[in-house]
Amino acid sequence: MRRERDNPPLQHRTFLSAMSQAGTLPAIPSPAPAASGRIPGSKAMWVGIFCEVTEFALMFAVYFVARAHHPEIFRNGPEQLSLLAGTGYTLMLLTSGWCVARALHAMRASRQRACLQWMMGAFVFGLGYPVIKLFEVRWNLAHGLNGDAGVFIVTYYYLSFNHLIHVFWGLLGMIWVMLRTGTGSYSAEEHSGLESFAVYWHTTDIIWLMIFPLFYVLR
Amino acid sequence: MNETRKLDLAWLSLVLLSVGGAALGGQPDAGFMITVLVALVMGIKVRIVCDRFLELPTATRRIRQLMYAFCYGMPILVILTSAFGDALARLTAKLII
Repeated sequence: MRRERDNPPLQHRTFLSAMSQAGTLPAIPSPAPAASGRIPGSKAMWVGIFCEVTEFALMFAVYFVARAHHPEIFRNGPEQLSLLAGTGYTLMLLTSGWCVARALHAMRASRQRACLQWMMGAFVFGLGYPVIKLFEVRWNLAHGLNGDAGVFIVTYYYLSFNHLIHVFWGLLGMIWVMLRTGTGSYSAEEHSGLESFAVYWHTTDIIWLMIFPLFYVLR
Repeated sequence: MNETRKLDLAWLSLVLLSVGGAALGGQPDAGFMITVLVALVMGIKVRIVCDRFLELPTATRRIRQLMYAFCYGMPILVILTSAFGDALARLTAKLII
């Protein structure tokens, strides 16, 4: 009973609100926003993102356990990989993420054309990741870094290929978002699809920012 | 400073930190302090992406807390594994076949 009085159904609230505006009832406080913030993109995307984060958290746990058991191998491991390729991936993903963020800002300012241009830039830089990967894998195999090259390389392939799959999904999503932007499906008021994609892409960025120092930098 | 300039600055900082971080760790036989520094750079970069690109400060508390826990947990784990690797190896000895 008390709950209904504190939080009345919508049609009652409208009626009560009209009464309070007319001065016959005390003013009704508006309902507080949920947990003082908004959900960037969509709820469904965040469920997916937390699944992705959990998946990578488990893989990072495997990395830390393997590192604790084979400190010498992991200390010398990064010397085998190309630091140039690792830095290249990082710069490509960061630049692509920046373009996506600029695209989102352009859409909020009702600049659809600029949004599409920024998305195209994001796609080009995002595509740089698998291209570098192709060259790096060829270079690795030429240097004998295959699946039998020890625990460090196996852990590296396991984590980085998994990340590559997420980048591929992101690139496919980017094509879809570009098509939707190009056909005018998003507006300054409604662009939750674009925002959901942006959230996914930035999370993929964040995961790479963790993988990069673990495999290419820490010695 | 408007929002787009802030984004540009965030991107520039991320690029500089990435190149600087790579140069830091690229030194042979890096000590524990370098590990701490690399973890710190990782934490700063991730925080910039969270705040500027992902716009976490405007997100609901639960999303914010979970993402920050993940983002700060990793650099902390890097330092802890580096400092107490032996203890972790003993604790997880039965996991390794």
